[in-house]
Amino acid sequence: MTSIGTGYDLSASTYSPDGRIFQVEYANKAVENSGTAIGLRVKDGIVLAVEKIIHSKLLVPDANRRIQSIDKHIGLATSGFQADGRHLASHARGEATSYREWYRSPAPVKEVVSRLSMYVQAYTLYSSVRPFGVSTIVGGVDNAGPHLFVVEPSGVAYGYHGAAVGKGRQLAKTEIEKLKLVELSTREAVVEAARIIYLVHDDQKEKEFELEMTWIGDETNGLHLPVPKDLHTEAERKAKDALENFE
Amino acid sequence: MPDGSFSHPQERQFNPYTENGGTILAIAGADFSVVAGDTRQSEGYSIQTRYAPKVHKLTDRAVLAVNGFAADGNMFVKKVKQRLEWYRHAHAKDMPLRAIARLIQTMLYGQRFFPYYVYNILGGIEEDGTGAIYSFDPVGSYERETCRAAGAAMALVQPFLDNQIYFKNQQAPADSPHPVHLPLQDVLSIVIDSFTSATERHIEVGDGLEIYVILAKGRSAQGLESIRNVQEMSTNPEGDRVFVIRRELKKD
Amino acid sequence: MDHFPTSWGRPRNDAVDNFNTYPLHQRAQHGKDTFAEGVQRTQQPIVTGTSVLAIKYKDGIMMAADTLASYGSLARFKSVQRLHAVGRTTVLGASGDMSDFQYLQGMLDELVTDEFTAGDGNEFAPQEVHEYLARVMYARRSKMNPLWNALLVGGVRDGKSFLGYVDLLGTTYQASTLATGYGAHIALPLLRQAVETREDTLAEEEAKRVLTESMRVLFYRDARSLNKFQIAKVTETGVDISEPIVLDTHWSFAEGIRGYGAQTQ
Repeated sequence: MTSIGTGYDLSASTYSPDGRIFQVEYANKAVENSGTAIGLRVKDGIVLAVEKIIHSKLLVPDANRRIQSIDKHIGLATSGFQADGRHLASHARGEATSYREWYRSPAPVKEVVSRLSMYVQAYTLYSSVRPFGVSTIVGGVDNAGPHLFVVEPSGVAYGYHGAAVGKGRQLAKTEIEKLKLVELSTREAVVEAARIIYLVHDDQKEKEFELEMTWIGDETNGLHLPVPKDLHTEAERKAKDALENFE
Repeated sequence: MPDGSFSHPQERQFNPYTENGGTILAIAGADFSVVAGDTRQSEGYSIQTRYAPKVHKLTDRAVLAVNGFAADGNMFVKKVKQRLEWYRHAHAKDMPLRAIARLIQTMLYGQRFFPYYVYNILGGIEEDGTGAIYSFDPVGSYERETCRAAGAAMALVQPFLDNQIYFKNQQAPADSPHPVHLPLQDVLSIVIDSFTSATERHIEVGDGLEIYVILAKGRSAQGLESIRNVQEMSTNPEGDRVFVIRRELKKD
Repeated sequence: MDHFPTSWGRPRNDAVDNFNTYPLHQRAQHGKDTFAEGVQRTQQPIVTGTSVLAIKYKDGIMMAADTLASYGSLARFKSVQRLHAVGRTTVLGASGDMSDFQYLQGMLDELVTDEFTAGDGNEFAPQEVHEYLARVMYARRSKMNPLWNALLVGGVRDGKSFLGYVDLLGTTYQASTLATGYGAHIALPLLRQAVETREDTLAEEEAKRVLTESMRVLFYRDARSLNKFQIAKVTETGVDISEPIVLDTHWSFAEGIRGYGAQTQ
């Protein structure tokens, strides 16, 4: 960030002389400071998990969800500014609905992702707007199987086997790489996802957190649903056990 | 014609109306009102359902009976209730009966060129504590009356009421003139007889009978307890009170 | 202008003026509205489905409809599904125009999807679906641009079963046995006899048998019907729409009827 303060970082419509758009990079900073979100694409589905930092004990448990549904078969987890995440989810829902209206069938995940990324990219072009301060993990199961994407503030969207965004992404990615994702079932992946979120959470620096998990797969009949309470509790227990052994 | 055209003009317009049969009636007493209707809903010769209520409680002192085209009727009742709720929110009290009557006229006339095809009879208690009936035509003409029948068997029931309530064609003995208002017991008997008779002679009337009785504040409910199948509908037993009496009618 | 106020403006008809407030010969003709040709939005059904039947039984509701979509008297499409699940609590059966029905399906799917993505776990109850459809149908008839259907809505929510009817006029009603179209004349008496007063005791097999036999009677008597139909079952556990059921039928009796079988004379 040597060019900070040179005047090229005030507008998303201006490049710096070395070809960077600082507003986009700053947007990424917003993501880096936020609770970790991960997504796993496994044999028969998708698992999304989020480390939701609880900044006040007065908050209602399970409220202000950071994983949202885009369509029956698509889920979206965000890291960064919550309000931006809700706006993008709302836009993505509109695209999924529009696809259903036109083609009378559920939208392919990559279609929603490509439309969403075009929308995000448009906010990197003008001086009058600010880029979105979120990285978005989009996961879904369509008739071609499970898919997982990450849409970044720049508007790029990559497909992944496993993805992690937010504060703990480095450690999370290292842990995800150790998994044999193509052999894992969604049920097993839920346990792994819980373990990773607990692992990357820094309880020295951070406040309390809530583990939020959803899944899509054969077990949910292709629907994007919250992980059932009993499985959630079990995964959380195993995650805490693993944490003690890890340290 | 061979080319597919018609030599006679054909009816092509979609007809947005139908008739769903049934009959309603209301009678006002000195300090009470009775509003009743059968519960059959039909179209042509088919009975659609044996229980579709036509009499609706609006407030603790107003009951509305709606007869004609059922879809219009249901929508109209829904909108009247909505307006009464708004009134409650604005004024923290129920709308008085005569104001409801005027509201209904305004709402009906508002649809003067695409009318709600329904005949309304509003019954209840006025602010002065008297029993009152208002009857309406589909475009809002209305007047306060003592009794009124409407619907499929109107032509059968109204003459009977004229005779029994207004004492038309009855010569009173010189020493005992006709009463202005009948007691509740007599009114209930007349209502029940009206419907059993209409059921007998009109194919669109039958199945069930719902009789709403609205009593003025302070009037005792004596005489109602002994009747079977009475249910109190009012929210406040200290004010005007509403009861409903349910009876079976022949189902053939 | 004549001196009968009732003859002024648009003529009324028998249904309104049943006391002959003006003389018969004065009664205005129908179909002479100056503007009738001006706007062309009123329609007629094109590809149509015939009766839908529905009953309540012990565990919920059951609904049946054949798989035929007719083009006038032509049996045009013989494998069309006329029963549609709305969420996990409700089933919708449609007779009348099939394109209007498909439009409604799209509308309801969007409604259900929007409710799902809201993520609060709420689902529509059958009563709510019925009310929604009634509003849509009534609004469209009021624009003189109806959706040309008679619809049955059935389902179970919180242990209570619901059966309701809505049609192109926005007319609604509820009953423990329902039928649309020709079925309202032919099958409904059979259904009422079998079901009324027994809604809470009627077993699944018996309910299915009653519907099957009614569909058989309809096939013999309704020229726009088919011996291939589906039965939808809605219970506390959800909606189950069967694969098409094909009835074997017997026409040997027709041989003896003049003008029915293969007589030469």
